[in-house]
Amino acid sequence: MTVATRAPSVDAWVQSFTEANNQDPEIRAHGKYFTCSYLLDMEAHTFVVRVVSGTIAQISVDPGPIEVPYQFAIRASAHTWSEFGKPVPAPMYHGIWAATFQRDMKLEGDVLVLMQNLRCLTRQIELLRSTGAPV
Amino acid sequence: MSKISPVTGHYVTVDVDGLEYKVFYLENGQGQPLVCQHTAGAHNHQWRGLLEDPEITASYRVIAYDLPRHGKSDPPENTQWWTEEYQLSADHFANFIVALVDALELVDPIFMGSSFGGNIALQLAHRFPERFDAVIPVEGADYSPGFYLDWWQHPHANAAQVCGSGTWDLMAPQSPEADRWKTWFYYTQGSEAFKGDLYFYSVDHDLRGKLGEIQTNKCAVVLMTGEYDYLTTPEDGARTASQIPGAEFIEMKAIGHFPMSENYPVFKGYLVQALDLIRTKTSVRA
Repeated sequence: MTVATRAPSVDAWVQSFTEANNQDPEIRAHGKYFTCSYLLDMEAHTFVVRVVSGTIAQISVDPGPIEVPYQFAIRASAHTWSEFGKPVPAPMYHGIWAATFQRDMKLEGDVLVLMQNLRCLTRQIELLRSTGAPV
Repeated sequence: MSKISPVTGHYVTVDVDGLEYKVFYLENGQGQPLVCQHTAGAHNHQWRGLLEDPEITASYRVIAYDLPRHGKSDPPENTQWWTEEYQLSADHFANFIVALVDALELVDPIFMGSSFGGNIALQLAHRFPERFDAVIPVEGADYSPGFYLDWWQHPHANAAQVCGSGTWDLMAPQSPEADRWKTWFYYTQGSEAFKGDLYFYSVDHDLRGKLGEIQTNKCAVVLMTGEYDYLTTPEDGARTASQIPGAEFIEMKAIGHFPMSENYPVFKGYLVQALDLIRTKTSVRA
């Protein structure tokens, strides 16, 4: 059985995701060198998340062409991201590796930077389970 | 009650393919040997729940070893292994397990392994059906490409964390957080072996077109796969089982690629089913 949930508005999500990250004990404990910028392409919206020392410094919403630089991109359909936003995601929507191997997610750009930050980034993406996804 | 676990550890010397290994294993229980292989890049603590399970160990002698280069089993004693790239072959992996069974003087063991341990279980059933009463390939398949990646050992990234967090999504969100983090922790310890293990898992292991040759009347085969496994999916497990005459397949719900380590209570329910199936099949054989 699936429970219908309303996706949060973009503005509400930017605030809740930033707060969830910046207060997360795991990221606070291990994020000293978690510094990078990445694109979240959710089909209906795109976001550039800029992280400095584990803190989300800025989330740019629907940036224009070449407006906000980023190092790597995580792209998937709105459907995939909405599945990521459920408290207990269904199989293959439970992480960026799973969805990349088995669904429509793509990891692009400088994937080395993604790998260098993989521990905290994995946790950060899982915060969608509590904030929901804005698509 | 004593705080000392009934699980004991030993070393045994194993000679195979011209290499000498000092192999560490944990064991507990009495009865038919149940030989357990951890996943690639990990070690035998993944079997900690099974090793201390009083019900299973009442009827089975559970033996969980560290494959050489993992945990407390060192690389070979008699080569300059540091001058060569480690790439585990199907031949050597299978020969090693038979040599270990010989060194421990085990009679009619059941072999169970997960992930690359599941794949080698299929290889053992194919190559040495007379040496094993049964095999339980967990998260195994005829072929599992795609994971022999340079990221596991890339000098510009933290290999320990890439191995730990790169395998995190192989576990189910329902599995207890503490057990998932233990499994993550084991993975941080094995980054110098993980990629070489995956040479077997994703490159050298290929039983496509050969599954029909497996003789389950000599060596029973019960495959088990978790629904959150994105590498060897339940579809892969079911397909593999369907091509082995007489093999059984069990899909495990709400669990992933490291079932014995990420959620032993859930895994145990399915393991009991598998062991019952094996008892039924081998009693018919007798």
